[in-house]
Amino acid sequence: MGSRLTIAGRELAGLRAEKTILLAIGIQLFIAAFSSFLVVGLVSMYDPGGLSGAEIEVAGAGDAVADLERASDDVPGASVTRYESAGAARLAFERNAADAVVVTNRAEDGGIDVVATAPDATVETTVIVVQLRELLRTHELNERESRAAFLAESPLPLPDQSGSSPYFTFTYTVLIPVLVFLPVFISGSLVVDSITEEIDRGTLELLRVAPVTLPEIVDGKAIAAIAIAPGQALLWLVLLRANGTPVANVPSILALMTALTTLVVALAVAISALAPDRRAAQFLYSIGVLVLFGGATAMAGGPANAVARLAIDSTDATTGALVVAYAVIAAVAYAGVRRLVAVNGFEGG
Amino acid sequence: MIDRLRRVLRVARWETVRAGGGVDRRTLLAVLALLSVAGVVLGGGLAAGVVGIDVDRDVYRVGVDTESPYADAVEARPSLTPVSADRASLGETVDILVLDDGVVVASDTPKSEAAAAEFREAVEAHNERLMAAEENATAAFPLTVSLQYVSRTSGLGVEETLGGSADDDGGAGESGATDDEGDDTATGEADEDSDVSTDSDGDDAEDSDDSGLAVPSVSGGAFGADTVGAPGAITPPFPFVSLLLAFVFLVPMNFLIQAYGSSVLDERTNRRGEPLLVTPLAPADIVAGKTLPYVAVAVLITTLIAVAVGGGVLSVLAVLPIAATFLAATFVGAMFARSFKELTFVTVGVSVLLTTYAFVPAIFTNVTPVALVSPLTLVVYDLQGEAVSTGEFLFSTTPMAVGALLLFGLGLGVYREEDMFTQKPVSRKFLDALAVRLAEVGAAGIGVSPRHRLRALGSVAFLTACTIPFVFVAELLAVALLFALPITVSIPVLLVTIAFIEEVAKSVHLYAGFERGVFARTDRVAVAVGLASAVGFFLAEKATAVVQAVGLTELYVGRAAFGSVAGVAGLSPPVLVALFLAPLALHGFATTLAAVGASRNRTYYALTLALATLIHAAYNFGVVSLHG
Repeated sequence: MGSRLTIAGRELAGLRAEKTILLAIGIQLFIAAFSSFLVVGLVSMYDPGGLSGAEIEVAGAGDAVADLERASDDVPGASVTRYESAGAARLAFERNAADAVVVTNRAEDGGIDVVATAPDATVETTVIVVQLRELLRTHELNERESRAAFLAESPLPLPDQSGSSPYFTFTYTVLIPVLVFLPVFISGSLVVDSITEEIDRGTLELLRVAPVTLPEIVDGKAIAAIAIAPGQALLWLVLLRANGTPVANVPSILALMTALTTLVVALAVAISALAPDRRAAQFLYSIGVLVLFGGATAMAGGPANAVARLAIDSTDATTGALVVAYAVIAAVAYAGVRRLVAVNGFEGG
Repeated sequence: MIDRLRRVLRVARWETVRAGGGVDRRTLLAVLALLSVAGVVLGGGLAAGVVGIDVDRDVYRVGVDTESPYADAVEARPSLTPVSADRASLGETVDILVLDDGVVVASDTPKSEAAAAEFREAVEAHNERLMAAEENATAAFPLTVSLQYVSRTSGLGVEETLGGSADDDGGAGESGATDDEGDDTATGEADEDSDVSTDSDGDDAEDSDDSGLAVPSVSGGAFGADTVGAPGAITPPFPFVSLLLAFVFLVPMNFLIQAYGSSVLDERTNRRGEPLLVTPLAPADIVAGKTLPYVAVAVLITTLIAVAVGGGVLSVLAVLPIAATFLAATFVGAMFARSFKELTFVTVGVSVLLTTYAFVPAIFTNVTPVALVSPLTLVVYDLQGEAVSTGEFLFSTTPMAVGALLLFGLGLGVYREEDMFTQKPVSRKFLDALAVRLAEVGAAGIGVSPRHRLRALGSVAFLTACTIPFVFVAELLAVALLFALPITVSIPVLLVTIAFIEEVAKSVHLYAGFERGVFARTDRVAVAVGLASAVGFFLAEKATAVVQAVGLTELYVGRAAFGSVAGVAGLSPPVLVALFLAPLALHGFATTLAAVGASRNRTYYALTLALATLIHAAYNFGVVSLHG
């Protein structure tokens, strides 16, 4: 055990000397900041109701405008002003007195024809169109209700709107899994670099002269890489909590991510053992991780979803079983790779 | 010249052979095997219906009776898990409880509220599905909406250039009838409203009823893509698909720079690159030759992608500077890195930063002209089939292309024996790379002609001028990051950040010069190089005033960053001259201050740099409040 810890300590000392770990944390911080920035931007574009004070003024005209006004009473983000003619409404729009024009007329087939006009290509256009859609959908629901007699199956009544934050689901289903899994990829990449570099520089040969076996060297490197992962994840979770986002089941999340780190590290060791040089190894590793995680995320019970459910506290018996299953898979994979190295050695070294 | 080209090509051929050996047949086979396994698994999963990229699967638990009409709605929503109502206890096993008449019982936790909102959407989607199956289409979808985009004829004239063309092209692709409508009204003839409503007739509505289900639709409607259909079919204008396709161009870059970075760092391990260095080849030739194959691969891949996603020559030309910048930044990283580990992080950092820089502005295509700072915006335009003027093309691609060249220049500075094969920290190599570009000032003191001294100071000014593209990029990133904050917070933070960026750009190479002994550590030299640097920065900044022509100053935040020139009309000539020269005085004073600090030691440099930043920020604040 002592020799393994020595090697692990040497790895960590190398990381500290190069300040690589700081760069890694910096990159993660940047990704987190920017993805949040993006979502805040996009959500405010798509769901202006989520932001207070986004209200649009609609100039209404046509013979069915009374129904439109009725609909606007139920939509907090839109108010309708009635104009005598479509021309007058358009004029108000031109003079910036209204954000959009809606001309609504009864058609011969019993339906209602609506012509909506939104301003072209300004920052507010998206907000206006989203609110217009909300208004017209409410209008549609009202109309549908009044025609319920002609429907074979009447629609279910909608529950009341709740004042929910649009960022809530995103935080738990995207941001937390991303933050938890970034250190996993980083650790795997570190192992690939560490092993291929030793082979390349010829220092692995020197190590083998020392009284340690090849599996022990691999163990040492793996211990170092796996040890730094949960700490980073924990840092993000603590930061989130300080920011007012409570995360449930932290020990389970850390156990799950440690298991995944072990799995990815095993993959990294296997690839560095088989690939001829660093370039091929890193290429294979990136593709392998992409395939592994892409595939796993798409499956029911994938790791990203499992972390989201743990963090948001929607666990059931299967989530607990999943964590155990991942741990077992990781242990088996690592043992297998260790054996492979013990028998075959490293390709390049 | 021909000779030189031949030399570069020889290195390129050698690099190609070597790189071909690096990723050998076995590796390629392994990659293919991995991808095909993934394909089979995903395909099988899709067929079996257990695959979907719902990251929010089962995150909310809803207590609902299996007999309830709402059970189907909950069942069909991936993010909701139904829990039998008799086993449900609010807050413990379920987040919300749905009664048979549709009343939702929720607690006041954020999670419960989010679950209630999700449930409401599930019911809406369920209703849409029910209605789509109805025979009486008029009763199910009583409203037929035709949405058109019209630019207001009064005011907002600046928006016309971009938005106007977007309207024409996007609309033509969607539906001819409403497009005519939009154009007519756009020219301000508001007298034909009566025939507007006759446009959307019955069969149009029937057609779009099928697509009416996609409520938060992601179909790629650009601005001006007029739509006809039920209200649910309205898609907010957002070039989603074009953006996604533009992103595809960036993905292969990440793999390319991994190979390139490895190749460059390979030269540096075990002094492998030494034989090349002792040949008559100049470092620039070697680097050009080593880079050429990767540029070729980038062009090839980009062309293939362009053909696949329907982009044209414009897409390829626009992606080229991005590819060059990826390679250049990786080259610098590989020259500075001490080990593969460090290189990996540098590569990841480069990927993340450049992808963000290229992608984020492109999201605001059609919204603001600032989007053009990223060449990827041109790709989005190209994919939408919109015309791009030469001016826009140059504005978008030139800064990145120049930036790539400058980065290669920076890296070339340390492409020499004493830096390549030693284990210096990144910061020291950076200073080396800067100091290489400087000429001695005040070193010997004897026999130095005034012309020589002038040339030395000229190199200082030139180096400062070269930082302008990076200052520009850094400031834009700062603007982008702070854009979302309220203006009372963002403006002061932005002013200090920008002042800091500029002060660093003006003085960091001076520090390098003093540290590496290129400049003598005297106050006279410090003042001289400080002033030279300030002049260089001032001239370069004025030269880039072109950006104002493209309307960057339209944005309030943009004005804070770039606009000490706007709004000076109607002032007397002496005042104008003073205003014009005021920035020079500021730069001169602040940079001289930092230079004097830099000539002492690191602590002094940090202190004077902070002081210079504060002075600069105070000046900027004065300018903004004058023009604000």
